Amino acid sequence: MIKIGIPRALLYYQYYPMWQTFFEELGAEVVVSPPTTRLMLLNGSSRLVADTCLPVKVFVGHVLSLVGKCDYILIPAIRSVKSKIYNCSKFLGLPDMTRAVVPESPPILDVEIDVNRGKRSLYQAIYKLGRHFTWNPFKVRRAAIAAWQAHLNYLELMTSHRLTPPQAIEKIAGVAEAEPGTHSSQPASTQATIALIGHPYLLYDEHINHRLIHRLEQAHNKVLTPEMLTAEELQSATARVVGRAYWTYEEEVVGVGEHYLRSGADGVIGIMVFGCGPDSVMMDMVKRQAARLRVTPFMSITLEEHTAEAGIVTRLEAFLDMIDRRKRRQSKVYA
Amino acid sequence: MRVGMPHMGNIYIPFKALFQRLNIDFVIPPVSNQRTLSLGVKYSPEGLCIPFKLTLGNLIEAAELGADTLLMPGGYGICRLGYYAKTQEQILHDLGYNVEMIQVGVSEKKLFGILEMIKHLSNNAPWSKIISAFRFGLTKLNALDKIERVVQKVRARERIKGTANHLFAKAVKAIDQADDYDTLKKVQTEYIDQLNQVAKFTQAQPLLVGIIGEFYVVLEPFSNLDIENELGKLGVEVRRRLFISEWTKFSLFLNPLGVNETDRIHKAALPYLKRDIGGDGWESVGEKVLHAKEYDGLVHLAPFTCMPEIIAQNIMPKTKEVIPVLTILCDEQLAKPGTLTRLEAFVDLLERKRRSKDRQQPVLV
Repeated sequence: MIKIGIPRALLYYQYYPMWQTFFEELGAEVVVSPPTTRLMLLNGSSRLVADTCLPVKVFVGHVLSLVGKCDYILIPAIRSVKSKIYNCSKFLGLPDMTRAVVPESPPILDVEIDVNRGKRSLYQAIYKLGRHFTWNPFKVRRAAIAAWQAHLNYLELMTSHRLTPPQAIEKIAGVAEAEPGTHSSQPASTQATIALIGHPYLLYDEHINHRLIHRLEQAHNKVLTPEMLTAEELQSATARVVGRAYWTYEEEVVGVGEHYLRSGADGVIGIMVFGCGPDSVMMDMVKRQAARLRVTPFMSITLEEHTAEAGIVTRLEAFLDMIDRRKRRQSKVYA
Repeated sequence: MRVGMPHMGNIYIPFKALFQRLNIDFVIPPVSNQRTLSLGVKYSPEGLCIPFKLTLGNLIEAAELGADTLLMPGGYGICRLGYYAKTQEQILHDLGYNVEMIQVGVSEKKLFGILEMIKHLSNNAPWSKIISAFRFGLTKLNALDKIERVVQKVRARERIKGTANHLFAKAVKAIDQADDYDTLKKVQTEYIDQLNQVAKFTQAQPLLVGIIGEFYVVLEPFSNLDIENELGKLGVEVRRRLFISEWTKFSLFLNPLGVNETDRIHKAALPYLKRDIGGDGWESVGEKVLHAKEYDGLVHLAPFTCMPEIIAQNIMPKTKEVIPVLTILCDEQLAKPGTLTRLEAFVDLLERKRRSKDRQQPVLV
């Protein structure tokens, strides 16, 4: 059986159930790289120029860990998934860049997705991807439809059950998590509700963010994530701040930020990485919006390879203390 | 209405001519300087690139001079640039400037985006008037770039360093002041003649270095420490593909006919990078492949944290076509002494390489 490697990084958190269904319907086996480790990050960053952003270094680390374990590696070049809304250059150059820096990698399946070129070219791209497994277009079509359905179910599962992507993936596909029960059920007494904003590959990669969600939950906080909002909520919130979205991931940063800054959370934490092009502008938008609204405290944490655990812990504690103090003062005033 | 726009090289000269002819009040902020940079850095989000910071500085300085309508390129499908006007407008508003930003869609509509913008600014002046003003601006632009090409050649060969620069500064001033086509033409031929008559070293063929990379940092000398001039001082002839006049020529006349100036470059890049990744990343890779045989070396200019150029930087060392490349990341920390040392070392390397090639010996690695 043909083995398809999928790196557990970047778009994995958004599309894994879809990709898995597609390949399994076509009779292939899917191999996912293990959760990020320090060694993977080191291996990845040794291949790239220094100012490449952290998630891409992690991604290359995952690709390296898949070398020898699969026949193909799936690295799509996703240009645009919504009309006139584009992705960061890093996503577009990912297949070619990986080919250049990991010459020993198995053949790369680089399907280019750009909905602006029309349905026909999208279908052609999908068929081209399916051609590696079967010549029969109907079989590819059936796999694609099943994959799309799996994707919709996945989204539905996250909003309806308020699950994070790793939890939902675990539920659907049975991919074991790094530490089962990390995102355990909410504690009985909640200190505060903290909303996290940022890309899924930052929020759910526990190595990159030093187990941020786990830490917040340990301190008896309720954690809200971008996936828990519906598409309509996101869209209207994004429209209030910037009008029309420019980036694919604008909603999960600017939209989610705006939504939680207005209501529903005691504090908002923005997670970004150093050198991220889109985030450098989008997080600034959220920061400005927070300063304008003056409703909910906002903190942004910039992660990089050298981010130390102690620093994050200290900042988190200070932020949580501040929220706690604020809540007590408010209850005194309005009591 | 007072119109202001950021600087990029000498682009303000054609725009000044254009706006003058259409009776649009045009405010020219001081050319990018240390204060511009400090202002830009102070009010920009830290992770942004030098083009954002410098243009923000320019816009603030324009607003200080009373500009209330600011122009900024933008559009979909490119790098962060499409987001800049939106962000800069918010920053300017938060600073208390009551300005209106106009996004000029250069990436989608190419030059027609600029024409639309002019139509809007000139209160719907008749197209005939706009076209004639535009043509005049274009002629100035062409004259500037033509002279600059000669300057690039002369700088490397002149006996007294700085002669070409001195003449170029005078030529820029004369072109700026020229009021009609005749004067313009006279200025152009006069200065090209003068440049050709500058006393030169003729015995040795100077090293040939190509400048590639991101549009803004290549074209704005302040952002790259005037690297072409520094290379000229070291006796190196500089070539670059990016000239604004080239870009306008193609996007106005030839692109609609299906001729694209970058097709050749993209084709060269194909084995290593299959698709446009925004910005000038594709072109950087392509130009390296294309110029590997032609030039002695390449200087690759990129803003720090520029997404497309990082991809290009990762791919470029892996191409089969080999040529020395010096990547210089431009940001507010870029300092002259360090950069000059790197340039000198690079030029030494190229000279050694050429000598060993002349002796028909393999290069010792």
